[in-house]
Amino acid sequence: MRGFAARDGEAVAGLDEDERLVIARIVADVGLLLGGEAFGVDERERRPQREDLAEALRFLDGIGDALVEPDDPALLRLLPNASPTDREVAEEFRRLTQEDLRATKLERLRRLWEDLSAEGDDWVVPADQVMATAAALTDVRLVVASRLGLDSDEDAEALHRDIAAASVTLKHASAAETGIDPERLWLGMLYDALTWLQESLVSLTLGGTE
Amino acid sequence: MGTQDQLQTDAATDTRLGDPWVTIVWNDPVNLMTYVTRVFQEYFGLPRPEAEARMREVHEQGRSVLSAGSREKMEVDVQAMHGFGLWATLQRSGE
Repeated sequence: MRGFAARDGEAVAGLDEDERLVIARIVADVGLLLGGEAFGVDERERRPQREDLAEALRFLDGIGDALVEPDDPALLRLLPNASPTDREVAEEFRRLTQEDLRATKLERLRRLWEDLSAEGDDWVVPADQVMATAAALTDVRLVVASRLGLDSDEDAEALHRDIAAASVTLKHASAAETGIDPERLWLGMLYDALTWLQESLVSLTLGGTE
Repeated sequence: MGTQDQLQTDAATDTRLGDPWVTIVWNDPVNLMTYVTRVFQEYFGLPRPEAEARMREVHEQGRSVLSAGSREKMEVDVQAMHGFGLWATLQRSGE
């Protein structure tokens, strides 16, 4: 994996096919979590079937009701409470903004997924897409962090200690033998890779205000 | 007492201007310092040193007031911050 560098006014990273596949898959999962259509399904397949139509019209049942706060902590992190101390303010905000916010996030995630699903190892982000791409990467990192239980700076430091320890012991033993939860290790390494990619992208002043 | 302290003093003054509502951005363990700085630059149009000072305030104090004004305007700002994946809230000034 090669982090983003500026090339001809664009940001370009290098990911091999496996790396792109893993990241594209988690991006698609976050899209589903936000209630989007599955990415990569073509228009013909997307044409609504009878049961899909019933599903699509289900929102009509909820018209007039206030949108409720999501139960899933990862989804709540994407669509946060705008006023924990004032329920009326929080509900009004959710009613006014949630659908827009969801649509914006889904559009950015879909674009990110398409970039990662393109042929070739170069991942090219035009200057005017740097912040949209960084925002989509943030949403993916927020979901992965939530699944990892990263609620504080200390949690994040503990994860990094575990990964560092695992990368040393894994040279001599299998994941099972180290006693480290393989899923935590795998998700943690994915989180780190996404963090590193985002940092390299945002550190380029490309497309910025100065 | 450096530039950063000066800017933090200014930020504190801003919240006393009598604007009815404020937008607050909260610290979280996920968002990168470089990214938060850049969001503050791009969305609030802050010069880089001030954007960095606000980012440090979020990181070190746990929160920073980024804008003040009408409730409707704060809803727009909070929505924009949520769009960037930052956790922001709005409240009446002085609460």
